[in-house]
Amino acid sequence: MHTGPNADQLELQAAAREVLRKSCPSTLVRQAYSDPRAWQDLWKTAVQMGWTQLALRGIGPDDLGLTTLDLVLTLEACGGALAPIPLISSIGVAAGAVRTLGPGALDLLTDLADGSVATLAAQPTGQRLPGVPLTLDDAGRVHGSALCVPDAVHADLLVALCSSADRTALAIVPIGDGVLIEPADSADPSRPLAVVTVDARAVESAIVDLEQAIAPGLLALAAELVGTAHGALDMAVEHAKTRRQFDRVIGSYQGVKHALADNYVAVERARALVYGAAALLDEAPAGPRLWDACALAKAAANDAALACTRTAVQVLGALGQTWEHDIHLYLRRAWVSAALFGDSSSLYHAVGRRYMSGGAA
Amino acid sequence: MSQPDLTELRDEFDRWLTSMLPADYYDNYSVYRWDTGLRREYQRASFEAGWIQPTWSREQGGRSLTPAAALEIRLQAALRSAPKLPNIAGPNVAAPAIRSFGTPEQVARLLTPCLDGSEWWALGMSEPEAGSDFAGLRTRAVRTGDVFTVNGHKIWTTQAHESRWAVLYVRTDAEAPKHKGISCLVLDMHAPGVTTEPVRMASVSDETFCEVFLDDVEIPASALLGPENGGWQVAMSALGHERQMIWVMNWVETQRGLEALRSNRKGACDDLHSAVGALLADSEALRANGYRALHNESSGRPSPEGDVLKLFGSLALQRTWETVAAALGPAAVADPDLEFERHDGLAATIYGGTSEIQRNIIGERLLGLPKG
Repeated sequence: MHTGPNADQLELQAAAREVLRKSCPSTLVRQAYSDPRAWQDLWKTAVQMGWTQLALRGIGPDDLGLTTLDLVLTLEACGGALAPIPLISSIGVAAGAVRTLGPGALDLLTDLADGSVATLAAQPTGQRLPGVPLTLDDAGRVHGSALCVPDAVHADLLVALCSSADRTALAIVPIGDGVLIEPADSADPSRPLAVVTVDARAVESAIVDLEQAIAPGLLALAAELVGTAHGALDMAVEHAKTRRQFDRVIGSYQGVKHALADNYVAVERARALVYGAAALLDEAPAGPRLWDACALAKAAANDAALACTRTAVQVLGALGQTWEHDIHLYLRRAWVSAALFGDSSSLYHAVGRRYMSGGAA
Repeated sequence: MSQPDLTELRDEFDRWLTSMLPADYYDNYSVYRWDTGLRREYQRASFEAGWIQPTWSREQGGRSLTPAAALEIRLQAALRSAPKLPNIAGPNVAAPAIRSFGTPEQVARLLTPCLDGSEWWALGMSEPEAGSDFAGLRTRAVRTGDVFTVNGHKIWTTQAHESRWAVLYVRTDAEAPKHKGISCLVLDMHAPGVTTEPVRMASVSDETFCEVFLDDVEIPASALLGPENGGWQVAMSALGHERQMIWVMNWVETQRGLEALRSNRKGACDDLHSAVGALLADSEALRANGYRALHNESSGRPSPEGDVLKLFGSLALQRTWETVAAALGPAAVADPDLEFERHDGLAATIYGGTSEIQRNIIGERLLGLPKG
């Protein structure tokens, strides 16, 4: 029975937090709102630290015994620091889909582990859940548009979910001729979004199981959101311990204390599901249970991040309405990551419907 | 314990449980769940087979199992809807207190009948003016030589009218700060001056509340459980033991509710799909957090999850039965079993520490917020 991280894994996570504390202050997050190159130095650090090597966990010649739980713990640390780097998009979401291709994907994953950036096109128009936005024709060309592709503006490679006859294919398209990246507004400019329009030849493609390809992405975003939720909660707690009104610190009032306690419960609910789904991802074959577990983890993490940031803004009062205070950076990240790859209601609904009709979960 | 050993142990328990249950147990569970005779018999057999407190030694009704192995047995028992202990306070609260704090004489006299169910126990904690504020209790015990003379009034004392003994908390030092002037005594419910009056419950229940009136009840000093004025520690330790088990029961209830949702619904339930998905998340998070708490405790790490389980589990339980009720439509209020579950769910956010107290604990101990 899986029971969460061991002492070594917790130590590695603490080390990641320490690196981020030094190299990812909130001033860097703010810089990334306007400077499109602000992410690059921190990305070099992430590559040097070996975080991108997590793309190769459990496979490859130099397998270091890393697991998906190690990835999740690293992404949680990044979420807590709002790291403006494409680690989630490239190593969590895109590499997660590429890994379902099997041993043939080793070269591509090695490129990502060495710092090339990929992103996954998974959002079709007119749909709340991720799916299959593009098509792959018989000649091996990819066509169509995908919405809200995260970090596409930083990416070297597009990983595209495509319909191919009546099946789903995963196609790899280098970003260049035939791939149009149109930056879209993002509530969190440090997690840039784009509309990606493709008419280009795939350098590689294979038939995949759609749910298996998307599940790692749901989990990666969930891990980040747990970190962001906890970061916002910490900020609210700090304020509640020091701000005085009516001669008492406001955290001594149950109206504030109980709201923060409920936030803590929401974070632990999500964290339990994220760690559990991470263990399931490393067990093969997981089948539909895996998508359900990752979807519930994402839904719970959405809930936690939205609740923690909303409460934090409330606890901070007028300060929370200002540009100067960092809480809006957390709020923005929570909004964007909670909206990508499925809001809670649509995820809970999908899993609940399958359960009620006698399926997985 | 290795995984194959654990599987073998669970199989052994399974076979034993099957041998204990009537052939039509599952077909007529809604009748058998109230069958006190069957439940008494089950408790005695559990004690004799070493399943009642599996981490304890063989002579204390256990099998010296690890906490992780004991949890597997507890989960398996709950999953198979094993008969519920007829007097939970005995084996799960009084027995751990006797074992941890009792004198050799107390252990020799009290432990076995408590575990095998031949003597039931009540918990004399709450008073009319001391509910959540347990440390504010007013029942006084005045010591003269080797005898305490006790006067006071306990209330919400579950099953006191059927109990042979009570773990009684009394004020022995009126001058000390309120946590430090409490002692724990073993009360003989047959002693002169003890009057017990059952309170009628709002719902069908076999865990009836009582009022217990104590008029000049004489209790020998040899009945002190733990040190004089050390009752607070006894209470916290005994309740901590109970708190570790509550989540298991809550989890199994969420599983039962989810199963009922899938099989008993009336008509279309499309509008409930999101609620069902959220319940699936609640149920799995409860189980995973329970395991994380156990794992952290046995690795000697702090276990913040443990403080979350009571609050979260009881709320998940309430959400479960309310969703089941919605799926049944008007048939929900014509179903006495469901009526019981809903009442029982509402009690879960009260007993063992109300949700409000749990939120204070999370706010103060885990988040470091000051007391109000």
